Amino acid sequence: MKTYIVILTFLFLLSGVSAQVRLSGKVTDQKQMPLGGANIFLQGSYDGASTDSLGNFSFKTGLKGIQYLSATFIGYKPILRKLDLDSTKTIVLNFVLEETGGQSNEVMINAGAFEASDEKKAVMLRLFDIATTPSAQGDIFGALGSLPGVQKVGEDGRVFVRGGEGYETKTFMDGMLVETPYLSRMPDMPTRGRYSPMLFSGTLFSTGAYSAEYGQALSSIVDMKTNAPETEDKSSVSIMSVGIMGSTSKCWKNSSLSLSGDYVTSGLSNKINKQQVDWIKSPVGIDGTVMYRQKTGKTGMYKFFGTFNNSTSGMIYPNTQTGEKQNILLNGSNVYLNNTYNNMLGEKWMIKSGLVWNYDNQKFDLDNDQVVTNQKMIQAKFGFINFINDQTELKFGADWVNYSYEQKIRMNGNFRLPFSNNQLSGFAEMEYKLTKKFATRLGARIENSSLLNQTTFVPRFSGAYKTGNHSQVSLACGQFYQNPEEDYLKFAPQLKAEKADHLVMTWQYQTELRTFRVEGYLKKYSDLVKFTKPLAYDPLDYSNTGSGHAEGIDFFWRDKETFKSTDYWISYSWINARRNYKDYPSAAIPGYVSEHNLSVVYKRFFEKLHTFAAVTYSFASSRPYHDPNFSGFMNSKTNPYNDISLSLTYLLKCFGKPAVLHLMVNNLAGFNNVFGYNFTNTPNAAGYYESTPIKSPFVRQTILLISIML
Amino acid sequence: MKKSIVTLILVSLFSFGFSNETYEKAMSLSIEKLFQAKTIPENVEVANQFERISKTEKTEWLPLYYASFAYIMISYQESDNAKKDQFLDQAQKYLDQAMAIDPNESELYMLQGFLYPSRINIDPMNRGMVYMADMNKSLDKALELNPDNPRVYYLRATMTFHMPEAYGGGAAKALPLYQVAADKFKVFKPKTAISPNWGKEICDAEFKNVQEALKK
Repeated sequence: MKTYIVILTFLFLLSGVSAQVRLSGKVTDQKQMPLGGANIFLQGSYDGASTDSLGNFSFKTGLKGIQYLSATFIGYKPILRKLDLDSTKTIVLNFVLEETGGQSNEVMINAGAFEASDEKKAVMLRLFDIATTPSAQGDIFGALGSLPGVQKVGEDGRVFVRGGEGYETKTFMDGMLVETPYLSRMPDMPTRGRYSPMLFSGTLFSTGAYSAEYGQALSSIVDMKTNAPETEDKSSVSIMSVGIMGSTSKCWKNSSLSLSGDYVTSGLSNKINKQQVDWIKSPVGIDGTVMYRQKTGKTGMYKFFGTFNNSTSGMIYPNTQTGEKQNILLNGSNVYLNNTYNNMLGEKWMIKSGLVWNYDNQKFDLDNDQVVTNQKMIQAKFGFINFINDQTELKFGADWVNYSYEQKIRMNGNFRLPFSNNQLSGFAEMEYKLTKKFATRLGARIENSSLLNQTTFVPRFSGAYKTGNHSQVSLACGQFYQNPEEDYLKFAPQLKAEKADHLVMTWQYQTELRTFRVEGYLKKYSDLVKFTKPLAYDPLDYSNTGSGHAEGIDFFWRDKETFKSTDYWISYSWINARRNYKDYPSAAIPGYVSEHNLSVVYKRFFEKLHTFAAVTYSFASSRPYHDPNFSGFMNSKTNPYNDISLSLTYLLKCFGKPAVLHLMVNNLAGFNNVFGYNFTNTPNAAGYYESTPIKSPFVRQTILLISIML
Repeated sequence: MKKSIVTLILVSLFSFGFSNETYEKAMSLSIEKLFQAKTIPENVEVANQFERISKTEKTEWLPLYYASFAYIMISYQESDNAKKDQFLDQAQKYLDQAMAIDPNESELYMLQGFLYPSRINIDPMNRGMVYMADMNKSLDKALELNPDNPRVYYLRATMTFHMPEAYGGGAAKALPLYQVAADKFKVFKPKTAISPNWGKEICDAEFKNVQEALKK
């Protein structure tokens, strides 16, 4: 009996009904706004309560002695308080919770940058969007053309940003340099990117004032993030009106291997789609890509990306300048190997490293002459990120690029134009969030080029301030250097780097499904390469005395909310640009600049028809060109550019497997777009310089493909 | 001496039994509240209760399971997309903790499969493809661990029913799946009184609707 009494007493004590303490109080945020639904509880017990809509809580506990009281709420830092429950019967205490970092409603430094990612929740464009933009024809760089700040330059195909030339946009893959991102191109014909958008999970596209991590780009950078490890074995085969494509992936516990390849031949397609080019040999391309991903430990990731490409084509080129018709044969080969390794070093440090090798060979046969160009590049890069605290992040690193170039010309004799360069760079950047609303980033980059015998030091700055729940203003500025193009350096290695200064101001409104953005910018160019005669052999003909400027406003509106199953975006850019460079006699609007550029992209899913439809309309105002029949420089203007492109994607089952039937039509309306004119070098008998228009290789292009998942 | 040893043993036995009983009682009460909760604050409150239990019962996956479940429910009630994602992040956090406790529990993979459709709802055009694949993988794993888990069959049926016919969805395709799910529910016995045991009512109701829809 006695035992039972003891037990009962014990139980009584344990359950602690004897002396309860009442805890109550209020939970607010830093602005004294009540937080309803916060969880207040004593650690190691069930005792606790949720706050009501006014932030008040109250509960009783039988616990004794020293205890710990926790307050937690989603999106806020938890607080732990030590309490002595023996001293009193009622405890009143208030909590002020602080919002945690990294939330979507936090200020983000983004002036000049367009981010496309499959991982982040709030981004302006995703890779899927790029792959399904009809005017892009499946090309990453083509898709960037539907964004503000990018010029339509139909005869080139590269990315021309805010008054800058095509070479001023540099491409990166996982932060490492891609020296030759475009396929070799024929004169006056557009090129496209080497890599399929399907290989990447995200793209950072910056149209100005980017981070100090990136150098050697005067106007813009495109950083493509390769896919994460595959999570399931899969294979697919595609049959296109222009060739075949296949891919397969295999995955293991901590690693995955993907192989993909394609054979593209436009012979059949060029017969169906009316050509404005005399092909001797229709373009043929063969590509192979290997991707290997290996997780190391909990946080480490090694990525390998290797790709091989060969393309050939041949055409009869009406060389207006000389008045001759030339047979041109082009053969280009490229190998690119990209290795990166990232890992956390403890809690606060992260290492990012990479090693890249690029080999590119281009062979041009012009009638009996030949030009062979070889480029080799090795890049090694190390970077560290130190997460000092929630507000501060320090990033620094160094990279080394070894580049060698050799051009062999067989044309009335044999010539060899080689040069090589070692570029050593270091960068450091500090991001500091003063408050949740105000962030700044200050960085600097130092570069040394062995070829130019020049050391440059440039500062970069960005700041962003949140003006509302969904809006913010940003400002960014910086200086940028880029070595002159190979075509000049091969003749004149004494040249110095070209320079640009950027100032960008942005206002942005963004919710999950809508984005509106206005960005104004000022750009100043100096030390641009200037010469008196194109392709002059004399090094002294080249100097860094060119200059230029560009200013403009870009608008971007994207809306996925208003119309059901519909997504559309509108980009408009206005630009005012002048340059006095190359062989310009005076400052003028360069031939690739059109004052107004507009893109409208509209996508809709028709559920009943199982069809995804997309239409793009692109407009670019007149571009200037120089007509020697009239006085003055850059005295004439082309007609405006118009394009309507369409794509239809139909979902179906093929032999019981999911499949996609995809139809793309470029320039549906058959607009006769003229990008400029080539003129003869000497006038004809009547004293008139004859000309031929520069046009797209096709009037209208239709591509059909069926893709089957195996 | 002997007596006090007996007492000690008894006390420890009792208090063990006692705490276990407290756990089950607290859980049953909270589960009852969970399935009665209609508004976001009610769901948050019950999720908080489960969180408190989970902080003490560090080896139990069930409190975390229900906390995660509550937040998935909240995500459906919330209209602001940014907040929805935040709630789902919270649901995922609890689920990850639960998975760490028991990586071989079919119900946890089922719940993971139940979480993805809410993510898809926020932005179907962009998220559909990725999360559908993830969802199927989770459900496959759930079935591998327990081929008789009726909730997996139910989720498959309801997803099929709500999917466009182009993707192999629709009432006709869903009907046999509902049949299997309903059969599985009939014979299902939860492991304990507080183990997951929801879904039968809604499954039966939807099954009936689909049958009627097809008759017309």
